[in-house]
Amino acid sequence: MALPLKYNYRNVLIRWRTTLFTVAGVAAVVSVVILLKALAKGIESSSARTGEPGNLLVVRKGSQAESGSLVTRDQFRTLQFFEEIDRNAAGQPVVSAELVMIINAPRRGGAGSANTLIRGVTPRGLELRPKVRLVEGRWFNPGQREVTVSRKLADRFEGFEVGGVLKAGPDRLKVVGQFEAGGSAFDSEAWMDADEARAIFDRSEMYSSILLRPRDEAAMRSLTNRIAQDKRLGLRVEPETDYYAQQTATAVPFNILAGLLGTAMSVGAVFAAMNTMYANVASRTREIGTLRVLGYSRGAVVVCFLIEGVILSGLGGLVGCGLSLGVYTYVVARGVTFGTMDFQSFAETVYQFRVTPDLMLLGLAFSMVIGLVGSLLPALRASRLPVISALKSL
Amino acid sequence: MSDAGVHPQPAATPPGRHRAPGISIAGFVLKNALRNGRRALLTILSVAISCALLVTLMTLQRELTVPPESESASFRIIARNKVSLAQPLPARQITTIEKLPGVRQVSPFTYFGGLFRDETVTSWAQFAVDPARFRELILEGKILEGTYEAWVRDRNSCLMGADTMRRYGLKVGDSLRFRGTFYPVDLQLTIAAVYAGTVDDRNCFFHHALLDQLMDDWGMVGTWYLIADSADAVDGVLERVNAAFENTSAEVRAETERAFQLGFISMIGNVKLLFGSISAVVVFTLILVCVSTMSMAIRERFRELAVLKALGFRRRELFAFILAESFGLSMLGAVVGIGGAWLFWSSINLQKLTQGFLVYFEVTPRIMATGGIVAALLGILAALGPSVSVARTSVVAGLKTLD
Repeated sequence: MALPLKYNYRNVLIRWRTTLFTVAGVAAVVSVVILLKALAKGIESSSARTGEPGNLLVVRKGSQAESGSLVTRDQFRTLQFFEEIDRNAAGQPVVSAELVMIINAPRRGGAGSANTLIRGVTPRGLELRPKVRLVEGRWFNPGQREVTVSRKLADRFEGFEVGGVLKAGPDRLKVVGQFEAGGSAFDSEAWMDADEARAIFDRSEMYSSILLRPRDEAAMRSLTNRIAQDKRLGLRVEPETDYYAQQTATAVPFNILAGLLGTAMSVGAVFAAMNTMYANVASRTREIGTLRVLGYSRGAVVVCFLIEGVILSGLGGLVGCGLSLGVYTYVVARGVTFGTMDFQSFAETVYQFRVTPDLMLLGLAFSMVIGLVGSLLPALRASRLPVISALKSL
Repeated sequence: MSDAGVHPQPAATPPGRHRAPGISIAGFVLKNALRNGRRALLTILSVAISCALLVTLMTLQRELTVPPESESASFRIIARNKVSLAQPLPARQITTIEKLPGVRQVSPFTYFGGLFRDETVTSWAQFAVDPARFRELILEGKILEGTYEAWVRDRNSCLMGADTMRRYGLKVGDSLRFRGTFYPVDLQLTIAAVYAGTVDDRNCFFHHALLDQLMDDWGMVGTWYLIADSADAVDGVLERVNAAFENTSAEVRAETERAFQLGFISMIGNVKLLFGSISAVVVFTLILVCVSTMSMAIRERFRELAVLKALGFRRRELFAFILAESFGLSMLGAVVGIGGAWLFWSSINLQKLTQGFLVYFEVTPRIMATGGIVAALLGILAALGPSVSVARTSVVAGLKTLD
């Protein structure tokens, strides 16, 4: 026979002072874990949201990222007329040779400088990325030293507002518009005309990558085979979505930190919960004796204290979830973005930090494990109290 | 709640004369602290874990934000393309730079960023330099094996850091293969010599001429690495280098090696804020744990404290008992935690575990002292709450307490 849940629940409430401390402690642990995971999640989801399912990205074999890749104009000329490539309404092949470059720009508020990714794109490049929308001003004009920047980037860097000027060494680029890319990796980029970019960055014969759209599934397969098997080209081809899904190395340190801190802090929290539960058991010795006399089994007493521990830390978990949700709401309301250097492109990636329902569930589960582990020994102790002397105790 | 009614002669009877023979004040505190051994242990352990965590976080923050100091780093200069580090510079600039007054030596310094053997991440750097010029630039470096001359002579050889040699069990004469990531070429290098004694003994240096040859004489370098005649000459050199290439197609930004490192770190993002806020939460949790344990311990013996009060002990003395106990427990926890963290981090080879991401991870005395101070304040803070409630409760009410 199990004890009614009400008994545990009221016990937790009557000792509100110790309850409060334990709950606050567990809440702190849970919110640290959720918030760190939320940073990692932000980076991962920015990668996951990037790319169109039908697109293929071509880079140099051996390069790890677009920024380290080189594709020559000759290679582009060969590739551009492959018949597997789709054509747009005007009959042009939907293929875009692009240049990915980095410029160093001052951060807003005088907080030093950081690298920003500049992408030289062609008109086809815009067609290939329909999710990128213009929100202010206009797109750059081909043949002009103009740039359209991501709005999120503009919030972080000096001179990225419409009408502002970006400096690339002796060259000046005029900001003529801002775009939004729906939380994708393009939100960390500034776009300009590919040919102008080649001129400014001295890449007369070089591009970084080629983005293209095959006609259909079959064309996609045959094009992939054709490029992969052509040893002379020395190029690597993969779906755009796959390429970006792999670019999550930046999230790794946050995940490691969340894991390490979560472990260390939860051990501390287990000790604290244990302390509280032992004190609970000690002060309720007579009560436990009474329960046993009334016929509740040892098992029932163990389960009872375990449930109490879980309620206690679960409350902490709930508060922790609430706290992180509060931080998240604040961050979203204020439009705060986070940025960190991507070690592959050496440019700053801007991302939104995301507290998702699965992270909150994880935090809640985590808190319950803390409660379960923390109350196991005290619960066993309670069940082993000798009934008669327990009854006699004060 | 006047004490006058229950304390007939509070001041006239000093507690020292009341105590039972054989029990000193210190013994009394100690007995109290340890009478619930399990709780004392759990308290010490939770304080210890939190202190260890705090010390670790501070060390990590220091490691990430303070680059290792080297005396000559202040008069060594790195000049990069003003556009960004990723943009190369024309090799012909060297003739202009070496003629500038105050420049003792200059070498090309190009980050190759290749993948060693079958690794998928670049776990240590390879730089292309001019060996003849580079000699004057690694002042602190000592050659452990092989000779510098052997490296200078052989265009296909390299100078390797002792740390990396140890990590992979390499020896002089071994052949190394690197797959290019930024450069569309692969390298095949023979180890000619081993260096040690610099702030970072992990790198591999090879002939820039080899890279030029593989890249079909591309005529570019990654950055310039300069050393000034003296520390006083540095500012002048920085100005002259920047001015020399102003309004050319490749403008240059020169900064001291140290400023360059700090700039690189600032690009990672706001590391200080992140670690600062996590540390704050850890300290907050620490306070909660201690306060709650102390108040549990005190509530348990509320009756006893009321008895002591009735015997004539004053609030001040009761506060001292509680303070001594709480302070003692938290300091013990601090010693275990901070000492443990120090022992742990200095005994494991973190550089090997993190593949060179964390190199020194030194738990400095300053960090340990900070941890100790936090624990001490904590002990005092935790004693305040219970002391106040003891002081507030009248003896009669205290004696009636059952729990």
